[in-house]
Amino acid sequence: MSGLIKSVRVLSRNSSYLRAVAIRPLTVIANKHKNYDQPPVTSSSVFAPLSQRLVLPLERCYSSKPPLTLKLITDRVLLVLKLYDKVNPDKLTLDSHFINDLGLDSLDHVEVIMAMEDEFGFEIPDGDAEKLLKPADIVRYVADREDIYE
Amino acid sequence: MSLRKEVIQLYKTLLHLGKDYPSGYEFFRTRLHKAFMKNKDEKDPEKIKKMIAHGQYIVKELETLYMLKKYRTLKRRYDL
Repeated sequence: MSGLIKSVRVLSRNSSYLRAVAIRPLTVIANKHKNYDQPPVTSSSVFAPLSQRLVLPLERCYSSKPPLTLKLITDRVLLVLKLYDKVNPDKLTLDSHFINDLGLDSLDHVEVIMAMEDEFGFEIPDGDAEKLLKPADIVRYVADREDIYE
Repeated sequence: MSLRKEVIQLYKTLLHLGKDYPSGYEFFRTRLHKAFMKNKDEKDPEKIKKMIAHGQYIVKELETLYMLKKYRTLKRRYDL
């Protein structure tokens, strides 16, 4: 029994999460000790700080993204476009037309939209993709989609 | 217009499949782009439909290629 307590104590020392998990078995063990009429060796030193540490943060952040802002979206769109090999980074501005100004064809445009889908992690339907002919259009589309306003 | 959509869908599918192409994605992408561009002036719907069917065939072939590659790799690795 004391060996079990020791192992649980080692676990509980390691991380706060494990500590929270280990609480129930510990109390069960404590009750058993009471029944056996045998004072648990280290119970007070383990349990007193535990009960104080029981408070868990109410808010959990599993995989939160940094909050998007219009500027961040703009930077990411422009970065993706700069890294695309057929776009000349010097000519690139927010208002340059993919086909007329940057000299892409419609297939390249499809590739650009696919790159944006990868970057922002959602699919853009074909009907909407046809209308996104400037970087500014993409920024506005992504902002609408993610509910970002000024 | 619906034919145009079909062609774009085909292009997307092929691009997606090409990401694991043995000779590299760049190789595949340039070839694919050229193949599509070669026929960009085709106006006859029948011919376009034929080409789309050919594209679908390529999609199937690519899938088979990947399956075979996986099978052969496993076979070599475990010496079955």
